[in-house]
Amino acid sequence: MVPRVHAPLIFTLVLLLLLIVSLVVGGRLLQTIVTTSFQNAEGIRGSRMLAAHVINEQLDEETGIRGYAAVHQAILLEPYYEGRSSFPSSVSRLRRALQERHQTQALLTLDDAVYVNRRWEEHVAAPSRSTKPGNSYLALHGKWLIDRFRIDMVRIDTLLAQEEARGDARAEAAILWIGIFAAAAVVIVVLATVLFSIQQYSLGLRLEGERVAREAEKRIADTLQEAFLQRVFPTLAAVSFSATYLPATEEAKVGGDWYDALQLSANRVLLAIGDVTGHGIEAAIAMNRARQLLIGSALLDPDPRRMLERVNRQLVQEDGTLITAIAGVIDTSTYEFAYATAGHPPPVLYEPDGRARLLEVGGMPLGLAAGTVYRTQRLQTVAGAMIVLYTDGLIEHSRDIAAGEAELLAAVDAVATQPQADAAAAIRDRIFGSREIADDVAILTIRFADARSGGARAGPVDDSTFTVGIEAGKLSAPGPSAFWRIA
Amino acid sequence: MNLGDPPIYTIRLSGELEIGRKNEIREALQVSEDSGAVLLDLGEVTYADSIALTELLRFCVGAQRDGLPVALVIRTPQFARLVEYAGLASAFKIFNDRAAAVEYLAECLRR
Repeated sequence: MVPRVHAPLIFTLVLLLLLIVSLVVGGRLLQTIVTTSFQNAEGIRGSRMLAAHVINEQLDEETGIRGYAAVHQAILLEPYYEGRSSFPSSVSRLRRALQERHQTQALLTLDDAVYVNRRWEEHVAAPSRSTKPGNSYLALHGKWLIDRFRIDMVRIDTLLAQEEARGDARAEAAILWIGIFAAAAVVIVVLATVLFSIQQYSLGLRLEGERVAREAEKRIADTLQEAFLQRVFPTLAAVSFSATYLPATEEAKVGGDWYDALQLSANRVLLAIGDVTGHGIEAAIAMNRARQLLIGSALLDPDPRRMLERVNRQLVQEDGTLITAIAGVIDTSTYEFAYATAGHPPPVLYEPDGRARLLEVGGMPLGLAAGTVYRTQRLQTVAGAMIVLYTDGLIEHSRDIAAGEAELLAAVDAVATQPQADAAAAIRDRIFGSREIADDVAILTIRFADARSGGARAGPVDDSTFTVGIEAGKLSAPGPSAFWRIA
Repeated sequence: MNLGDPPIYTIRLSGELEIGRKNEIREALQVSEDSGAVLLDLGEVTYADSIALTELLRFCVGAQRDGLPVALVIRTPQFARLVEYAGLASAFKIFNDRAAAVEYLAECLRR
């Protein structure tokens, strides 16, 4: 159940985590792209500005030389000298900027422009300062060199402009991709949320269905168990009964524990306790079947060993459900206790002059093997003795059986010496004071009246009138009304 | 594991046998076809719940039904008590010593 609840949740959390990481990384990427693009654009604009300086300085040189060549006034050479002095530094700044931007083409072009400028200096500017005005060769040669210089510089500017455009295009593409990515992330989040909600909804429906089914099964099993558990015991002066049943705390573990105390004749009482392996409705039904068989068998022949053997044969034939049980018969006039066990924990016997002890156990569970042999144990007990029958939950609450047995014996010792009306409940309270009840527990106590309490022993009733059995195919008992002494 | 000829098939389980190990127990409780006898070594088992005990009981009864002598080795007192309750001792030979169990089975096979 747990993994089914957690799987979609974990899936969604992982998805959301991935999305958050992606969005953070995407954001950083966008920031980097925008910054780089901005710095790139700034750098290119700076380079174009430097190129403009170089052009201006060359223009100053040319203006100075043209003026001087026209009128030979030395003052007109001033722009030439200014341009001349700042031209190299402007060129080297532009070169550095182009190198930084890896503009190989532009650098080659700049080299050509510088070469052209040097040639202009050598072949036009220097001769122009020393010759008379109107030298047409110089004017022509100068125009040709200056045109080449300007073409170079325009080319550099064009290359830089192209680079700027490319940078802008890259940034635009990156921003577009990031936009697509963010939109996809939003779509995935929405999808994941919808998917998660659907899963949670269907899981909720399924869990609710399972819970309803479980509750229904528990209710049915509880009702069956409740119906089967005997509340009314034979009313006899010589012997008193008490019983309790504790269902397991866990819902799923409504079990197949049962007990019976049924008067067979004036002095004889059938005692039975059993535990069906498994839980739920099937266990409750198997329990009822075993109980019917056992009572039927006791009515046929109240020997514990033969009771169990008959029930066992029948169960093996039927479906092979395994049942542990004790069948016993007490004689209220003689204090005799005869019993046989089938895979069941031992009865406890307390006698007033001693301590509670565990009795012997024998055969295998009912329903296992057709030929299983059981053995009737016969014990002579005394007035005031108490017999406790129980199911394994009472001693197997921890896995230490020896400790469980010791605790049970101590509880029986304590309870048997007190005149409680409900000894079974007292034993239960001593053992399960604050413990969780992992498995069902049934307890049946049978206490012979103390010899000192007047009229405790059953009177000398002619037991034969109550004997139930089949002899030569005929019921020997006088009539059905005499079979049962259930109040 | 098969010992001797005809072989004694040994199955060994240990620890606490409970419902959570049902499949493991079922898988362990299989006998090969050429086995002549079964030695169920539960010497190191300390506990078994009713489900596990049922599996053990059904296995032992099944093996016996198939005509295989079965011997159990049980050593821990807690488990011995549970086995006693289950009535196994009334139908199967139980030893607290593995060698004795093997000797018993060998004797069964000789007969």
